[in-house]
This record gives sequence, C-alpha cells and structure tokens, in this order.
Amino acid sequence: MTTDTQQETVFSNNQLSADEIPSFKTLTLVPISKKYRALNIFSIGLIALALTGIAAGMRFQRFWSLPDNVLIAYPYVVAGILAIGSVWALYHFFADVRIFYAIREQDISKQSGLIFRKLSCQPILRVQHVEVNRGPLDRWAGLASLQVFSAGGEMYTFEIPGLSIARAEQLREFILAHKDIGAR
Amino acid sequence: MPAPPENQTVNLMQSQKPREDASLHSKSEDSGSDDPKLRVETGGEWQRLSLISILYFTIRNVTNTAQGLIYVIPALAISFNIWDNLFSPQVLIGAGVLFLSTSGSGVISYLMYKFRVHNQHVEIHHGVFQRRYTNLPLWRIQNVKIEKPFYYRPFGYALVVLDTAGSGKEEAKIVAVPEAYAEALKKQVLYEKVQHEVDDVACISDDELSAKRSSTLHSSKMHTATTHAHTHEEVLNRRSVKDIIIHGITNNRIWIILGAAAPFYDDVFGVVSEWLAGKGLQLNQIVGEQTVAWWQFGLYAFVILMMLMALVALLSVGGALFTFYGYTLSRTGDRYIRRSGLLNKLEVSMRASRIQMITAKQDWLDKVLKRVNLYFEQNSTAGQQVQELMSPNKLIVPSVTEDEAFELSQEVMPGCDLRGQQYHTISRRFIRFWLLAAWTTPLLGVFVVGAVTSHLDIMIGAVTAFITVALLLTLRWWRWGIAYDNKYVYIRRGRVGVDYQCFEPYKAQQVIIKQSIFMKKKKLATIKFVLASGAVTVPFLPEEYVNTLADSVLFDVESTRKSWM
Repeated sequence: MTTDTQQETVFSNNQLSADEIPSFKTLTLVPISKKYRALNIFSIGLIALALTGIAAGMRFQRFWSLPDNVLIAYPYVVAGILAIGSVWALYHFFADVRIFYAIREQDISKQSGLIFRKLSCQPILRVQHVEVNRGPLDRWAGLASLQVFSAGGEMYTFEIPGLSIARAEQLREFILAHKDIGAR
Repeated sequence: MPAPPENQTVNLMQSQKPREDASLHSKSEDSGSDDPKLRVETGGEWQRLSLISILYFTIRNVTNTAQGLIYVIPALAISFNIWDNLFSPQVLIGAGVLFLSTSGSGVISYLMYKFRVHNQHVEIHHGVFQRRYTNLPLWRIQNVKIEKPFYYRPFGYALVVLDTAGSGKEEAKIVAVPEAYAEALKKQVLYEKVQHEVDDVACISDDELSAKRSSTLHSSKMHTATTHAHTHEEVLNRRSVKDIIIHGITNNRIWIILGAAAPFYDDVFGVVSEWLAGKGLQLNQIVGEQTVAWWQFGLYAFVILMMLMALVALLSVGGALFTFYGYTLSRTGDRYIRRSGLLNKLEVSMRASRIQMITAKQDWLDKVLKRVNLYFEQNSTAGQQVQELMSPNKLIVPSVTEDEAFELSQEVMPGCDLRGQQYHTISRRFIRFWLLAAWTTPLLGVFVVGAVTSHLDIMIGAVTAFITVALLLTLRWWRWGIAYDNKYVYIRRGRVGVDYQCFEPYKAQQVIIKQSIFMKKKKLATIKFVLASGAVTVPFLPEEYVNTLADSVLFDVESTRKSWM
C-alpha cells in the first residue's frame, strides 16, 4: 500500500497529531450586514402598525356595532401588540449584531443567538444545492440570504441571513465552484 | 503485496475510460438524433414554459386559495349570516374579485417562471413575491417523476418533478414541457446517476475492498451498470414466531390493527352505544348513582382494566405477527434485504453504504427479556411521515438477542461495539437546568394554587409530579453519554430503557455546537450531529471535549471525502 501512496502525488493523507487538526477556535468570524438589524426592526414595526391598524379599523368602523366587551378589550389589545412588538424588536436589536459567519476552505460556519449561542458548521462536501433568497423587503434593502441545503433535511438548512447581494452571490459561487461539490 | 496496487490502478484507469467514452457517446447520440427537440440541454438561453402551464398555475393557485379559505369560512359564517346574503352584490363582487385575482395569478406565475438545462444543471427561476432560484446538477437528482394532469394529456405535455435526496423544499418542478422532452430528461438524469454510482463503486473498491472483490465488482459493472453484482443471497437473520410474539408483547404494535380499523370506528361506537341503550343502560347512570359500594366499583374498574390490557397485548401480538411473520434479513452483494409479512410480503432493501446509523433500542421489558430492537437507518426525507415499520428508511430487526444484535451491528459496521465503550456522561447540571428552566415554575404554581385554596390533594400531586420529573431527569442524565473511538461515534441514551446509537463520523452532514451563556460560564456545551437519517444531540458535555470532537468529526468528513450514500 505504501507504493500506492507514493505514486499518488495529489492525494495526501498523512497522519496528523491532534494539534494539527483545524480547530473551531481559530475561526475568524465576520459579522453580517448592519442593515439586517434595521430591516428586521423596521419590519416588526410594520407588522405592529398593520395589526394596530386592523384593530383600530375594527374599533372605529361604522358598518356594524361591536359588543361592549370588545370595546373594553381594545386598548389592551393595542397595548399587547405594542408590548410583544417591542420585546421582539429588542431581541433583534441585541441578537442580530451577534450573527457571524466564517468561511474556511472546506466548510462554512455560522454563529447566532443571544442567550443560547449556536455555532453550526456545514462542510461544503455535503452541500446538495445552494439558493440565494430575497424577499420583497430584502430586495428593497439590498440584502439577500444564502441558503445551503444538505441531506440533513429541511430543519437543518444552513442559512446566513442579511448578506449584501454581492457577498451572497460570491459565497454561492464559492460553494458551487468548490472542487468537492460534484463529489456528493 | 505488490500485485493489488497495480491491479487497482489499472481498475481506476479502466473505470475512468468507459465513463468518458460513454458520455461522449451519449452526446454524439444526442446530437446525432434527428429530432432536435429531444436534446436535453436548452443552452444558455432561459426558456419559458408552454402556455398550457398557465392552466396548471391557475388551478394550483385556486386550490391553494380555496384551502386557505376553508379556515376563514367559519369566521365569516359567525360574523354575519352568509346564507341570507349569498347572492347580494357585495358577496358576488367579492367572489368575482377573488376568482379574477387567482386566475390572473396563474398568468403572473407563468410570466415569473423561467428555466434552462445548461451544462448539466437544471436551473429554475420562479416565485412571484418570494423569488427563488434553484440550481440542480443532473447527477445529484435522485428521482424523476413525470406527472400528466388530465388537462395536459390532450396536448401532449408533462410535468417533471425532480427530487434530490434532501428535503421536500429541494424538489424542483418543470411545470410544462413536451412529453418527449420529459422522457429524454428522465433518461439523461438516470444515465448521469448511474455513471456517478459506477464512479462511486470504483472509488470504494479502490480503497477498501480486496483486489479480487473489486475486480469482480468491476467486471459486473462492465456488463451492466444498472444491475448490481448479483452474488448469491445470504440470510443473516430469521425471526421465529416466538421471537415475533415477544416483540408483540414488548413493543406496542397495537396501532397496526387500530390503524387498519380506523375507518370503522364510528360504526363500532354507534353499534355499541345503541346496544347499550337497547339494554336500558347508560354509562353515566351507573357511575352517577351510588347503587354500588365504592370497592365493588373499584374492583369492576380493575377487572375491566386488566381485560383491556390483555386485549391490547393480544392485539399487539397480532399486529407484530401481521407485519413480521416469516421475517428474514439477508444480504446480496452490497444490499440488505428485509422480507416479512403475513398477508402481503413486504420487501425493503437498503444499500449497505446508505446506512447512516445503527440504533439498538431496549426498553424496560426488553431489558428483562434480554432482547434488542435493531434499526439500520438510511436517509429520511423530512416531512415525509411514513410509519416506522413500513418505512424504507429504517430497516428493523425485531427483538433479537443481545448477542445477535452485536453480530448484526458488527456485520454492518465492522468493529462497532455498542456496549463495550467508555461512555462520557453528561454533566449533572443537565438535571438542574431542566428542573429549574422547565418544571419548577408550573409545578410551584400548581402547589401555590393548592395551598391557597387549601386543597391538600393538589399540593401532594404537585410535589409527587416534581419528584417524578426529578427522578426521570436523573435517569436520563445517568444514561446519556457519548463515546468516540476514532472510527465510530457512539451515543447512549434513555430513561428506563436504553438506546444505543452508532454512526461513522464521516457521514455527518452538519455539526452544531450550542452553548447558552450560563453553560459558557461552567465550560459546558451541547453538541449536535446532523446526519441524513436525522440529528443526534448530546447536551451538557465539557466544552473542551465538544470542541475536539467537533473538530475531529469535521476533519473526518472533509479529509476522507467519502460519500455519505
């Protein structure tokens, strides 16, 4: 078998000591676009506004009369919407700046989460296909999210949100051009 | 050992050559075929679908809207009496607008859809609000379905559904293409896939198998690339009726019978209640009136419960016999085949290389009887809810003895010893975390309610529930552990029963490390491996251990570059 490895010039598989195995600790994490947080808070604002609008519309319309308890509930409903909206926005305010990603030769990683930090690492070898996704607001803000699908299933779709379009396309190209991508 | 390497390199050369030849050949055939429509490649230009697809999109959108509306109907019916105003102008206008917008959306969907088959990739741009771009390499497509809705047939169109091994989301549809093109695309995809598999087998035979075996494999490949090496079939395991009865008792298989009887439930209940009413009997009367002493009533209840239990066990054994009668597990070439069934023989076959994980499950009754349920799991498509036993994704060997389980797992993953590992148990903080985070508040709430309303039973109930939960969590902590012997990753888990899981690290699809800020202080972390058969998690392990394990698993995936399939 030794002759075999000597003949092969491209492939190397030398024994490595544990120190030489690439480590997570040395990842250089890059933050995602700052616009992502603003966009999220903005869209939460929009949703809260729309819901409050609907509630107000129901409250003040003249077509049919509402029961009294609905009238009493109205201010609480509005307060509830605002409270949930602001907690949600507050979460994004602190959490979105804590989303990082990192690219290595063989894999891509993402770190996210506020209290429960999550670091997921997707080897490019296992990538099935790649999508660049852009919702209407993303398009308006010039952002895109990169979705990387593996055979792990839908629940474990690797997604980096809030990338600039150029960066998302660049990452997609990088993954598609990777020499292992065809190897399954 | 100078001969094998030579032989292997020759094999490699040979296996490369036919592929190139073949692909060239196919191309020349393609270009040589007279009908230019049959060429699969559409070139760099984006293609529109045939106009018939507008019909498809419209019908799809209308059904989607209708499905959505089903939930709105009750709300509408409550808010104002729709039946009185059924033909009032407002309702008619509303319905008209809805109809026009959905049918118009078909045209829009059509306009927003374009596709091309270019450089062996299928590319699709679609979606109205959420624009999606899908790019599927031909060789990665697992399955090609050609659907022909009835309104396509007169015009000779077809819908091509392309499936990859991953999730449903990855499914790509080319909505309307001529039938001949659909068939050509299917042929091309299958061709590419076979080519790829041939390459795969060649790779495996190069690094793992002995020279002799690889050459037999190879020669068989030369004959037909699609059929696999047809060696004789070797039976690995049989299950006797006794084993299956044990399986029926230890595992509740009652749902097999219950599931089959589901359509008749209403009838059965109807008949029973009529029969009872005919006897002048109503259940609530018996319980309501104090005509019997409490102990008599209790005794009746106990007897009925026992009878029900016996019935359940009997039904369960019946169910087990129904599915597992005449069970054999055999191996032919690189495939495992399971055959079983009383009325209809079910055959599940699985390629050895597709097995992602071995799971050995033992619940408390299995432990008493020293039996194990062994599962070989291959990739599962998320969202596809197939019954566990019928599922082609899991190959079950029911209620084998512990020794048989050991032998079978050795057969599938050589050198794998599920029980002989030094399992690294998780931190005790796991118990504290779940008690505090999930259980203390609600149970304390119940306790306080009991104290305030001075109901002793509620208070005792809350305390008992708390103790039970704590005990179960302790058991779970005690069982949960992980081991890594440089070849396999082993996981042990369970509460009263034990499950052992084993997988080859290079088959991991993704590695996830989770750590809350509290865990970080204590230098603990949770590790999760995503495999094609599902994910496995081990929480509250030392941070150092998790990092090293994650690094070495990733290193295994990325440096060996072996296929997971």
